Amino acid sequence: MKSVKKHSLVNKIIYLSLTFLLFLNFNVSGQTGNYDKGKQLFNVNCAACHKLDKKLIGPALANITDKRSKEWLHAWIKDNNALRASGDADANALFKEYNGMPMMQYPQFTAQDIDDILAYTSGKPKEIAQNTAVAKVDPKVAEGKQLFQANCAACHKLDKKLIGPALANITDKRSKEWLHAWITDNNALRASGDADANALFKEYNGMPMMPFPQLSADDIDKILAYTSYVEVKADVTQSKDSNLAKPKASTAWMSIVLGLVLLLVIVWIFVKSNNGFLKIAATIFLLFGIAYLGFGALFQVGIDTDYQPIQPIQFSHKIHSGDNKIDCQYCHSSAKHSKTSGIPSLNVCMNCHKSISEYNGPVTSDKDKAFYDGEIQKVYDAIGWDKDNTAYKPNFEQVPVKWILVHNLADFAYFNHSQHVTVAGVTCQTCHGPVETMEEVKQFSKLTMGWCIECHKTTEVKMKGNGYYNNIHDQLSKKYGIEKVTEAQMGGQECGKCHY
Amino acid sequence: MKHIFNIAILALLAISLSFCSRDNRTRNVRYMASTDMYTPVSYETYGTNPNYTNGLDAQAPVPGTIFRGEVPYEIANTEEGYQLALKTLKSPLEVNDANLANGKAMYTIYCTSCHGDKGDGQGVLMQREKFLGIPNYKDRAITEGSIYHVIMYGRNMMGSHASQLTDKERWEIVQYVQKLRTDLLK
Repeated sequence: MKSVKKHSLVNKIIYLSLTFLLFLNFNVSGQTGNYDKGKQLFNVNCAACHKLDKKLIGPALANITDKRSKEWLHAWIKDNNALRASGDADANALFKEYNGMPMMQYPQFTAQDIDDILAYTSGKPKEIAQNTAVAKVDPKVAEGKQLFQANCAACHKLDKKLIGPALANITDKRSKEWLHAWITDNNALRASGDADANALFKEYNGMPMMPFPQLSADDIDKILAYTSYVEVKADVTQSKDSNLAKPKASTAWMSIVLGLVLLLVIVWIFVKSNNGFLKIAATIFLLFGIAYLGFGALFQVGIDTDYQPIQPIQFSHKIHSGDNKIDCQYCHSSAKHSKTSGIPSLNVCMNCHKSISEYNGPVTSDKDKAFYDGEIQKVYDAIGWDKDNTAYKPNFEQVPVKWILVHNLADFAYFNHSQHVTVAGVTCQTCHGPVETMEEVKQFSKLTMGWCIECHKTTEVKMKGNGYYNNIHDQLSKKYGIEKVTEAQMGGQECGKCHY
Repeated sequence: MKHIFNIAILALLAISLSFCSRDNRTRNVRYMASTDMYTPVSYETYGTNPNYTNGLDAQAPVPGTIFRGEVPYEIANTEEGYQLALKTLKSPLEVNDANLANGKAMYTIYCTSCHGDKGDGQGVLMQREKFLGIPNYKDRAITEGSIYHVIMYGRNMMGSHASQLTDKERWEIVQYVQKLRTDLLK
């Protein structure tokens, strides 16, 4: 009951502040651009080369309007070649700074479009919290978070030191007035002889912080509100990754208990009972039992179903293949032409991870964002990618990632991926199981000869659209008097097909 | 007699317990693990190889060599190279259904995640805001030469896809992208 009450109060506050914000938004958008529309345009047209908060192919664009005039930006975006040709010094300097790589021209943009984009880059009319997770939060905090991420997060984190100090609950440590003065222009504050400011400057080896004269007092208040706000951890109710260990363990326990009871009965028969028949029966039972279990144990030798080694990088197939729907063959690209399916080299990882340097998906209790970010960092460390400068480190000696082989088909059996993937059109999941749901890969099939033969016996061969079978199919259907042919009937059961 | 039964009972217990202790982080017991034919004696694709200085079996091709089936690509990975490819490079493949069908299959594997089924830039990664700024093909003045060049070397945030596709497959994708672009421009 209590929580319901609380909820309605929070809701009231949110509604009130949202209405207020909407009103504010309306006023602002009259003069400048529309933030949401700008975001859309930015994502489609600019985001390939620009990010708000850091350099990509082109410069970071957050608050670019503070750096360049609106007219200049309009001219540059519409036709930067013309602007450079007109002899504009800024434009030519920029072109030189980026090694003469021209930016695309956008003559199709209207002035309103460009205003919208600039509104988005300056982030002033704040995004109204859309999803429920943020909606529970005071809008001031949500806006503060955005401002923090756009302006501060390059050097500060809440919970740990980065370039600058950790900022969680900084208001407990410093006065509000001091923080305002420091953020707006820390150089001036230091020049005024403030002892705290100078001590801080010294502590960080005289590395000056950027001044932020563009942040209004209101903006700074919002940022401070965010730093003192304790974020409620996102739902940890995410389904635990396919953890089948528990139900398995319970059945194992049941069989152990049953086995022990049975053993006790047998022991009792031998020790206490005088019934001869019972003793003989128990002996036979015992002998067969040992034989059965013994052979069972021997047949497990070399079978590695459920084998799930700890890999050097905890690559989640669930995230890549399940959530983001990347095709198996995007990374395992040699499966279509080669005997092996191919373990992707790191340049394939970098096709996406040049841009995606951190994880933003759902987290579980034991695997948080920092964990996944660390795993991505391992890729960077191996290939020598400097994610802050978005460039490969010069003269870096790359280190191979030592992945651990999961599926080991016995060396005396020949298996070819291309034959199964390209010719037969067998899906990867047929043999490897639902990999797209696996946080860590484990062996799904037994990889025994019986398992191979079973599939060859039951799988119909795809004859259509394969010129090779045009003749042979007619002959086979005459010979066997049937319409459909399984792999085994075509000789898929001959020893020499796989063992040679 | 009694001893034998006692031993038998103990053996049964030991065997049945051994089933419960299987740890799936390590491999199961192997019979003559090093000498049987389960693990290869020969050098395997991703194995180690003491004959090479870096110890890897997978070696990059020797500089200046071309492996079978591959066609050397002479245009440089520069802005001038891009312009040159845009204007002069032509596809060696004829436009036919087989090429288009395989182009579509390859496009679906290697391109849809970002560029979308229709080439409008609305792939899953774009929709989930993992990878932003993917252009619609109709908004770009691209030719078959420039498409091939970009698949080969990548451009801006798109990486090179040369290592995942053969020369023929690249041209087939080019053909299919051209088709998507004409459909989008309609």
